[in-house]
Amino acid sequence: MRDVKAGSSEYITLVSNDGFEFKIQRSSACISGMIKRMLDPNGGFSESTTNVCKFSEINGIVLEKVCEYFYYNEKHKDSRDVPDMDFPPELCLELLMAADFLDT
Amino acid sequence: MSGRRGVNTVRGPQSALTSFLAANNISAAQIAEDYRRRRAADPGEGPSTAAPTQDQDEALAAAAQAEEDEKKTKKRKRKEEDAIDEIKKAKKAKGGKAADKKEKANAKKKAKKANPDLDDSDEEDYDIDYKKAKPAPGQFEHCESCNKRFTVTPYSKEGPDGGLLCTPCGKEMTKDLKKEQKALQPKAAAGKRRRKVESEKLDGVSTGGAKSLVQLCLQRVAQHHDDVEELGDLPPKLLERLSEIFSKKRVMKPKTLPLFLRPDLDSVVVHDAAYLEEEDYLQMFSVVPNMKKLVLSNTCQLKDKSMDYMLERCHELRHIALYAANLVSEEMWHRLFREAGAKLEVIKLKWLDAAFEDEAVRDMVNCCPNLERLKLKLCRRIGQDSIDSIAELPALQHLTLHIGREVSNDALINLIEKRGSLLETLSLEKFLDADDAVVEAIHDNCNRLSKLRLSENDTITDAGFTALFDNWSNPPLTFADFNSTRDVDNNNPTGPEEAVGLASSGFAALMAHSGPSLKHLDIASCRFIELSAFCDVFNGAQSYPALEYINISFCNKVDTSVVAGIFQSCPKLKSLVAFGCFDVDNVVVPRSIALIGVPRAQDAIIQQGMGIDVDEAVGRMVEVGA
Repeated sequence: MRDVKAGSSEYITLVSNDGFEFKIQRSSACISGMIKRMLDPNGGFSESTTNVCKFSEINGIVLEKVCEYFYYNEKHKDSRDVPDMDFPPELCLELLMAADFLDT
Repeated sequence: MSGRRGVNTVRGPQSALTSFLAANNISAAQIAEDYRRRRAADPGEGPSTAAPTQDQDEALAAAAQAEEDEKKTKKRKRKEEDAIDEIKKAKKAKGGKAADKKEKANAKKKAKKANPDLDDSDEEDYDIDYKKAKPAPGQFEHCESCNKRFTVTPYSKEGPDGGLLCTPCGKEMTKDLKKEQKALQPKAAAGKRRRKVESEKLDGVSTGGAKSLVQLCLQRVAQHHDDVEELGDLPPKLLERLSEIFSKKRVMKPKTLPLFLRPDLDSVVVHDAAYLEEEDYLQMFSVVPNMKKLVLSNTCQLKDKSMDYMLERCHELRHIALYAANLVSEEMWHRLFREAGAKLEVIKLKWLDAAFEDEAVRDMVNCCPNLERLKLKLCRRIGQDSIDSIAELPALQHLTLHIGREVSNDALINLIEKRGSLLETLSLEKFLDADDAVVEAIHDNCNRLSKLRLSENDTITDAGFTALFDNWSNPPLTFADFNSTRDVDNNNPTGPEEAVGLASSGFAALMAHSGPSLKHLDIASCRFIELSAFCDVFNGAQSYPALEYINISFCNKVDTSVVAGIFQSCPKLKSLVAFGCFDVDNVVVPRSIALIGVPRAQDAIIQQGMGIDVDEAVGRMVEVGA
């Protein structure tokens, strides 16, 4: 039985436009400024109560890479000489647009 | 007779034992040889070996023993040979057919030399003969991997199974091999990676921790610039950042330029147009006719024809920045100002050596009444007359000048008196003879300045600077750059009695006036600022809340306590540049601050603060210093 209180659940859900759902930690997701604002209880967005963020322009593959980036960023937050994350170049442009949209 | 030696060994009848041994790859002569050698090496081994009379059993036992040893050594030798063969094969994949044949012949010769009685020569011959004879160059052969027919050349590569590959498959194979070799090279890459990280920190790209996803993607796109066909719907800001990275990596070429040209854009920014030719400029102006902002650096190939087309197509130009456009003629500059001048608000021209005279500046002033920003740097042919013309620009708010020819102080004072009240930015670089009167004019006439640069000057005195900042009606500056304002006299290294350039009292006055809102401070090479002045300004108690960038390079009176004071006094500090400050050492850098240039051979050029607070860092430094 999970206690769902607004703004305090540890995991949140990101939904892509083709229906894939990704449950990731709140702290990682808030690396994106856009998601952080969406989930802010003071922002007045409905996402802050449901803890689900839908993205109608980002597809599943790109969203998966974005989630991978969130964890990669959090893991290397305090270290120096960090190796770059690897991703297929075909995904590059869509990932770039998604990253710009998410302010990350 | 000599030709016969060693070519065909004629054998006589053999005993059963010899046949048995031969069948098991053992040479009786070899055993005898080894045994004899061993006996010679160790004469006092025992009576059994010393005694010339041996039992038949003993002999057999000895022979069996020797046989075993022989087998082992042979096995080892065999293994060694196999290893050598493998290495050679790996190398062979690079080489061609001729090299192959030589290798095999060498291998055979070496084997024969090492073991002269090795009876494997027959087997080897048999092996080689069994393989298909390689076709000579000029003949047709089927490729091993794709089975296409192709003509054999001396350069045809060999495939993994020994057959020959056609040219495309051969190329692919070498590419694959090269990739494999690169993958097995972690040691060399480690040094390069470190250097890349440092270079990125200097560029301000990464500030510790992981890079942003946008940055990672931009780098990846720039890496694969050859394969990108279209950039889709990238927002203009990202497009500009991408064009910056392309320019930096020198891949902004005719092939990649179209990626950045879209009819709906209103600005074209190319920081490195060195590879672009006339057709590319024509394409630029035809695809983006509504451009308002045009920035072309290193536009060496921009000629009159392109400018003419631009004036014909683009009627919305507000912002023009052309650096190094040296093929544009004088008449064309006049035409530009006359035809497009009415709307122009920003003009930035640098590195014009061949044309662009004072008359052009006069035309500009006459035709561009709405000009707000003007930057004229390193234009070799303009001089004092241009200053007089610029003084008449009615709407000028931001002015940057770097003029090589002689300019009298009166002209400068005239300029400042006429335009000073509207100016928000004033940058006068390398006016070596500007004197205290100029600074006084700034004090008297400018009260809206937020960015002030007076660099590379050795005439203005410290007293002049102090007078500038004392009781100045101008609000605090956000950008102050006084680098290289000092007396330059090799015969007098400690400077004159009356300090010339920004020195202790001038510096103190500057910080007292602008401390509250100063963001960027550059006092590099102001080497006559005393240690006491630094300590007074950066004493830890006084706070400079907006200061993000400080450059104190070559102020050699600075020491570690000053740096500690800076860390404490500047909460928003992002980078501190301190090249040539030799009294600074043992610095512990707090979190998110980059310290650049502190000289110690073992440390990185950039010391990035990680994970500790300012107070802790300063505490540690004090401990070390004490």
